[in-house]
Amino acid sequence: MLGIALSILVQVWIPEHWLLRILPRNPWGRRAVISLFGMFLPVCECGNVPLARGLVRRGFTIPESMTFLVAAPILNPVTIITTHQAFGFDDGILVARLLGGFLIANVLGWLFSKHPDPHSLLSGRFAEQCRLDDGHGHTHTRREQTLDLFVRESSILMPALVIGSLVAGGIQVIVPREVLVSLGSDPLLSVLAMMVLAFVISICANVDSFFILPFASTFLPGSIVAFLVFGPIVDIKMLALMRTTYSTRTLVQLTTIVALMSAGLGLVVNYVA
Amino acid sequence: MWRSVQRWRGVVIIGTMAAITLWLAVTGQLALYIHPRYNVFTVTMSIIAVVLAVASVAGRRDHDDEDAPPPRRSQRALGLTAAAVAGLFTLGMVLVPPASLSTATADQREMNATAGGDEESLAAAATADEASIARFTVREWAAILRQTSDLSFFADKPVTDLVGFVIADEDDPENVFYVSRFVVTCCAVDAQPLGVPVHLPDWAATFEPDSWVSVSGEFASNPSSSSLQPVAVIPDTVDPVEQPREPYLF
Repeated sequence: MLGIALSILVQVWIPEHWLLRILPRNPWGRRAVISLFGMFLPVCECGNVPLARGLVRRGFTIPESMTFLVAAPILNPVTIITTHQAFGFDDGILVARLLGGFLIANVLGWLFSKHPDPHSLLSGRFAEQCRLDDGHGHTHTRREQTLDLFVRESSILMPALVIGSLVAGGIQVIVPREVLVSLGSDPLLSVLAMMVLAFVISICANVDSFFILPFASTFLPGSIVAFLVFGPIVDIKMLALMRTTYSTRTLVQLTTIVALMSAGLGLVVNYVA
Repeated sequence: MWRSVQRWRGVVIIGTMAAITLWLAVTGQLALYIHPRYNVFTVTMSIIAVVLAVASVAGRRDHDDEDAPPPRRSQRALGLTAAAVAGLFTLGMVLVPPASLSTATADQREMNATAGGDEESLAAAATADEASIARFTVREWAAILRQTSDLSFFADKPVTDLVGFVIADEDDPENVFYVSRFVVTCCAVDAQPLGVPVHLPDWAATFEPDSWVSVSGEFASNPSSSSLQPVAVIPDTVDPVEQPREPYLF
């Protein structure tokens, strides 16, 4: 609900182009600042999806919306505090999470900014809605726009959220966690196992540190970092939600890039820490 | 029909969920799902959702997206299926009574993995007076047991009316059970089980797993030959009790 409310705020109540005006003109600088939006909008990853959709409608580029979506759940004060509460500065887990989230978000945004046809990155339905928005202008009152956006966003996001959560919960019941835990001491397999766990568990970034803390004694630090970086960006629930906005092809590419970078980060931490 | 379902399914889901959340808050059952520190935030968001849902229904009118081309048959089927599944789930929230987490969740998580505590808290516990020790919950005892199994530490520290639900010790399920509580940091998703081992041969003849009990007794070397817990409570009394209004420790 907070995500939808903030999305409505950005689209209807904040003056048009106000956000764009305060951003640097340099693309790298813009993405760097956008990846820190989460510090002021501490919403968990589910809530960031409607917000990212609102940013696209407000004139942000599609790669910029991805940079925000990827960075915001990790680079936000609630996540930083809870990660620090769980791990302190042990094994560089907190620092690696923050730097990793920032790096992945900006590299991802840069890679997709090279796409020749960015609008093809969007799902057909969302692209159509953006086209309709552009065609109609804003002839309604703010109250009407607010209610329209609430109806539209909840219609798209709520079924995705419910079904994503149901699938994630169902898989957790079916797949025994012992299978994953048994891989904990291998530098590579532990990283992969933790990423699979993050994908399945689909837990909110604000509290995932407490969830994974019991594993810290059996898993290597790099695998914990991979869990904490990969999970907030890509999991079952988030894929269901992101599919409302981006095409399947885009999500496959996004998942591949994030998985490779998260695994690489985890391996580096395993061999350095 | 299609456009109505497509348009209003989200409002129905979010409105119903928000109304249920408000009902849980009013009846004091929200603590079964979230940490009480988030009650105000959750209730505020729910009120906003209900207000927007009611205002949307009351002020419904023609919409811009009616200009959009009709969806393909497969898209329509997918949309209706999503609405049906999400609707059934929401209906389940209405029909299934609220319940606390149980041994089914505890079995998927490691017991006492998050039992905190440090040398300072252990030193404080060592010098705690009788009244303070009598107020120790599962959290305090689990933290102490994680740090020491020195029986002399427990010599003058009886367990008094320790309340929790029953989970069998997987290494000696016939003779040892944990009196357990979940610790919740944010919501039920991150709940972690803490427990204090109790040695009571053939306990299952008297108590069901998941039943709530109050245990009083003394710590001693665990008589079980197969349990991995070196220290356990040897109970003087184990009495059945009602589940507390707040079953989790926060």
